[in-house]
Amino acid sequence: MTRNEFLSKLADELKKNNVVDYEDILSEYEQHFAFKMADGFIEEEIAAKLGNPAELASQFASGDEDEKRKGNKATTVIGLCFIDFFAGIFFLLLMAWEVVMAAFSICDGVIAACLIANARPLSIIPPTPWFPGFVIGLSLAALSVLSALGCIYFAAFIRQLMRAYGRFHQNTKAAASGRAVLPSLGIYPRLPAKFSRRIRSAALFFLVMFTTCFVLGFIISVIVSGSLEFWHAWGWFGYKPVN
Amino acid sequence: MNIQYKKGVLELCVLSLLGKHDCYGYEISEYLSKHIDIADGTVYPILRKLRSEGLLTTYMQEESGGPPRKYYSLTKLGRETYEKERKEYLDFAKRVEILLEDDDNDKK
Repeated sequence: MTRNEFLSKLADELKKNNVVDYEDILSEYEQHFAFKMADGFIEEEIAAKLGNPAELASQFASGDEDEKRKGNKATTVIGLCFIDFFAGIFFLLLMAWEVVMAAFSICDGVIAACLIANARPLSIIPPTPWFPGFVIGLSLAALSVLSALGCIYFAAFIRQLMRAYGRFHQNTKAAASGRAVLPSLGIYPRLPAKFSRRIRSAALFFLVMFTTCFVLGFIISVIVSGSLEFWHAWGWFGYKPVN
Repeated sequence: MNIQYKKGVLELCVLSLLGKHDCYGYEISEYLSKHIDIADGTVYPILRKLRSEGLLTTYMQEESGGPPRKYYSLTKLGRETYEKERKEYLDFAKRVEILLEDDDNDKK
């Protein structure tokens, strides 16, 4: 077999096996011929040593994972779009919760500040004597900080969850098109150890502060108003206080 | 020897050679056929398979007096895979050797 016979036979067999970019493969064999001929071998000898073109072509087909995978790539992408849609809704839900938590923290903070300063802007704070109001204000301030800390952690959680999902998305696409797959990511945020220790002890402190001040505030209010249901005594709901 | 049987081991030999330095296809083919009895053409399907698995990358380099050559180079994944499979193969070969030598002793 001459050089040209070998190459055209190989090209035919590659096409028969549906191997993509067979020109690329042929150029490798052309180079092989060029090198060997430069070393003084004759074409027939080189072709014989290369092996049977049909057999070689079948090895390209079996090693050609790309081809097999391309068949279901479209299916994978469609599937991914579906999953993306639902994951998107899920992430929106989580972000909405983050916003609600942040709003709660801010409102709590404002009410706490009003109670502590004994200020009643736009009369949004129900009438409360200063001292019991102050203690309840402290408890609400603690609750505000607590939910702010919750916000920070939850934001980190959502971020990590989205990153993990992004990696999953990328890997699924890479696997479908035969590219290398990266290691998957965990869903829990990895905060620096010092930072997460501080957050934990701060959360514990404010939780204790909230509980103590709340119970204390309730007891003081009962004593000051002389009634177990002090909210009625102070007329919180708009009607005249009962004496 | 059975070609399918050889192929996995040949992949390891290619990775080992590329671990030392980048090579062009013909260089790899010559190196392998010097040491192992295979058809010269067998190495190209192996190179393509390793590349599609992301273990190798290729780049073209101009050579004085000739067409540009396609060089093969190990990726990070390729290097890691080689280290892992080299250990596995050596361990496996050692065990097989022990088994086969046992066979010899039984006959005596």
